[in-house]
Amino acid sequence: MSVIPREEWDKYPDIEITLNVNGKDYKVKVKPYERLLDVLRYKLGFTGVKEGCGRGECGACVVLMDGKLVPSCLVLAVRANGSKVLTVEGLAPEGKLHAIQKALLDTYAVQCGFCFPGVILAIKALLDRNPNPTDEEIKDALSGQLCRCGSYLRFIKAVKLAAQYIREGKEYFDESGARG
Amino acid sequence: MSELPEYVRIVEEIFDKYKDKEFLYVGKRIQRWDAVEKIKGRVLFTADFAKYYRNAVFVYSVRTKYAHAKIKSIDISEAQRYPGVLRVITAKDIPGVNDVGYVIPDQPLLVSDKARYIGDIVALIVAEDPNVAKEAGELIKVDYEKLPVITDPLQVIDLRTLKEKEHPLIHEERGSDVVAHFKIRKGDVRKAFDEADVVVEGEYSTPFQEHAYMEPEAAIALPEADGGVTIIATTQCPFDVRKAVAKVLGVTQNKVRVIVPAVGGGFGGKEDVANELGAKAALAALMTGRPAVVIHSREESMIGHSKRHPMKAWYRHAAKRDGTLLGVEANIVFDTGAYASLGPFVAWRATVHATGPYRVEAARVDTLSVYTNNVYAGAFRGFGCPQVTFAIESQMDALAEELGMDPVDLRLKNILREGDRTVHGQLLTRDHGVGLEEAILKAVETSRWYEKRKLFSKQVGTLRKGIGIALLWHGNSIGVEGADYSSATLIINRDGSITFRVGLIDMGQGSQWGMVLIASEILGVPPSYFRVEQPDTAATPDSGPTVASRSTVMGGAAVVNAAYKLRQRLNKVASTLLGCDPDDVEIKAPDVYCRSNPEKKVSWSDVVEQSFWLGIPLQEFGYFRAPPAEWDEETGQGAPYITYTFGAIIAEVTVDLETGGVKVDRMVTAYDIGKVINRVGAELHAEGGAIQGLGYALMEEVVHNKDAYVMNANLSTYYIPTIHDVPDEIIPIFVEAKYRRGPFGAKGLGEPSINGIAPAIVNAVSHATGLRFHSIPLTPEKIYMALKKAGKTLF
Ligand code: FES
Ligand code: FES
Repeated sequence: MSVIPREEWDKYPDIEITLNVNGKDYKVKVKPYERLLDVLRYKLGFTGVKEGCGRGECGACVVLMDGKLVPSCLVLAVRANGSKVLTVEGLAPEGKLHAIQKALLDTYAVQCGFCFPGVILAIKALLDRNPNPTDEEIKDALSGQLCRCGSYLRFIKAVKLAAQYIREGKEYFDESGARG
Repeated sequence: MSELPEYVRIVEEIFDKYKDKEFLYVGKRIQRWDAVEKIKGRVLFTADFAKYYRNAVFVYSVRTKYAHAKIKSIDISEAQRYPGVLRVITAKDIPGVNDVGYVIPDQPLLVSDKARYIGDIVALIVAEDPNVAKEAGELIKVDYEKLPVITDPLQVIDLRTLKEKEHPLIHEERGSDVVAHFKIRKGDVRKAFDEADVVVEGEYSTPFQEHAYMEPEAAIALPEADGGVTIIATTQCPFDVRKAVAKVLGVTQNKVRVIVPAVGGGFGGKEDVANELGAKAALAALMTGRPAVVIHSREESMIGHSKRHPMKAWYRHAAKRDGTLLGVEANIVFDTGAYASLGPFVAWRATVHATGPYRVEAARVDTLSVYTNNVYAGAFRGFGCPQVTFAIESQMDALAEELGMDPVDLRLKNILREGDRTVHGQLLTRDHGVGLEEAILKAVETSRWYEKRKLFSKQVGTLRKGIGIALLWHGNSIGVEGADYSSATLIINRDGSITFRVGLIDMGQGSQWGMVLIASEILGVPPSYFRVEQPDTAATPDSGPTVASRSTVMGGAAVVNAAYKLRQRLNKVASTLLGCDPDDVEIKAPDVYCRSNPEKKVSWSDVVEQSFWLGIPLQEFGYFRAPPAEWDEETGQGAPYITYTFGAIIAEVTVDLETGGVKVDRMVTAYDIGKVINRVGAELHAEGGAIQGLGYALMEEVVHNKDAYVMNANLSTYYIPTIHDVPDEIIPIFVEAKYRRGPFGAKGLGEPSINGIAPAIVNAVSHATGLRFHSIPLTPEKIYMALKKAGKTLF
């Protein structure tokens, strides 16, 4: 059974929290047991955040919370109160692609794409702290991102390419130019 | 030949016409249609749609406590009273037929009298809050009478005699727990073994493998005014879901509409389980009159959907001193778990492929599929082939060792080439495309096989390298498993843009894109003009299921038909505008001109507009049906598949003698897939299949305890390859031995890309260690214990 018996739920009313998601402020009422994942997906509509396991094992749900990579399935929404959250939707402005996204396209890495939002943010977290990672560092940074379609080798290539783009000062690309 | 249907003639005509042409789109690397949306996180998967339904209800499945038990009663009263619960649904509430079995009707949607495995559902709880639904699940009271549990198929069948043993029946209504039995009887097997110079024999076992697609199952049902229902679902087979849901609801199929948005991986796992999810959501939606959401947790996904069948097999090969194969005998047992699912078809495909891509004059194969109380097994990329390929290719290496031959040389001596007959007596002609030898030679050359094989044999020290090979073949599409048809619609809109509709789905493999490239090539219109519409039973034609590596071959052939007819009509219109012969018309949208006078041009939109005013139909429906397969149930003789994909895999590994750990360093995968249509898709399949096969070879196994509970139903205890496990390099090579009745000569690759991986890796480990292994996953423990037993550990 749940930790809090149902009869006692009224003692734990919804709590209003503030979140800054992708640069915009939101006020949202959440239940004490609600996960950040569900608030982002269902209350705020950021379905770029995916749920693959709900246990911190697959990496599909990771977001950057105050610059740190966290599995949003293991973060209570109340715990995120007042924090700045970045999801894949906020990585690049409208009509633009971030260098990481461009590099993943250039390496033709996309298959089902379910793992991509998490993979992209994990790469972002890596490149933010290490602009020129080695193969081993890339593997370590992505070791929590499962991709069953098996695009892993392309992820490694894409991280290097993205790092190069960023070093060359090309952080954003036009979305339209990237289409097939 | 005159009675060939038109749709076959068209595919052949296009094949002949384009045989030596330069292609503009086919075989090129072109970004898939949805890549940008996926990378921006904008593409919606099934569960994502829940954000749009504010008054949705959630459905929770209460599953049985025991894997094998009689159910004496189910008391829902307390759960029904739990605050927030809207409805509790049990078997007796089902208006139609309580069955979601795929091949045979053996699988109730909701069990009422007996539970046969740990995923069986006794009740559905519908509530506004998913947490409430789950909590109320605890209040369902079921009175069980426990029955003895069977977890080993060899409790049901004796592997040597193939006789059914005395055991408590799981499906007493069938009188036997043997679901299917397939055979091959060819030549004089006894004589072959009597005359053999060498005989090798081995028992092999393979594990339950979990698909572990990243997107767990989900379905959302919306009630419709006429008593029907619209379902958004993650499935490979929208038309099968429609059929199954209509049956459960007791309504006609036209009242059920199934829409498939983006799918986060399938690999065969999103076939029959989608029927269950669709039906659960539909029942809840109709009973509450509200949108109903079903989303499986990872754990539910792992215990609640089909797995790859574990295999136990006994094999015997007979050969002459020079390596010529004389005969093969095999007893193969597949554990199909509690329900048949696609088990009979899996066993059939395994039987067809049970002797490998070799000339075999004498063979006896018996494949049995049996029930146990394990999680049910069904379709999984490869569909019976990875299991038997592991056994066959292990046997071939054992034989090479026994004969003192190089494993490649032994294989080259026996492989199927053009003009040979398969073990079923099927003549392989030029029209089939038989490129196995070329694939082997290319893989051997690229991997520097002979050099490394020698070099690695001389190693000393803790880290030992090995190199191994495995061959594979894979019959294309579904053969005798069912009616093998496909259809597709192309609509040219007034503005010249094109709408593309097919009922085959994309689960990440991208085969729709291959079909678009085919249409582009024939119409002369770039892929950017096309919009790929989501499969929707209300709008897209029934194209059969998205299974069996059939999308490109079968769907592609339907597209060829549609595009061919449109092109003919457009050529005629253009020829009147340009004043030349229709055959002289070249379309290179946006330009249209005559080859004899390229200076004079009209535009693509002019031709479209003109056709509109002339009343020329600008849409076309393409249909294709594979020639019927032939199969004799008693002898396994006939022509089981339209054609075969072939391949050769070479794996290089490093084995740590201290730990038994294996690192796969490099893989060369050479596939004969006929004409490559979607090059990016083909390469990704080669890589993705190799990685999934690596998991199968070294780490993946769903473990049941003696009570048939799954012990590792999550991703931290069921291991799949991570980025740390992948080889440094996977080199895909494509050989194009073209199939004349495939689009431009294409064959399939979706499934074959996993068939040969595990045996190639295991053979490489054998090379590195000098030991033979008979079971996968080949974990460090197994290797270490074997090394220890052989006195080969360093400590
Ligand atoms: S859903 Fe959070 S890690 Fe898998
Ligand atoms: S692309 Fe499908 S899981 Fe990574």
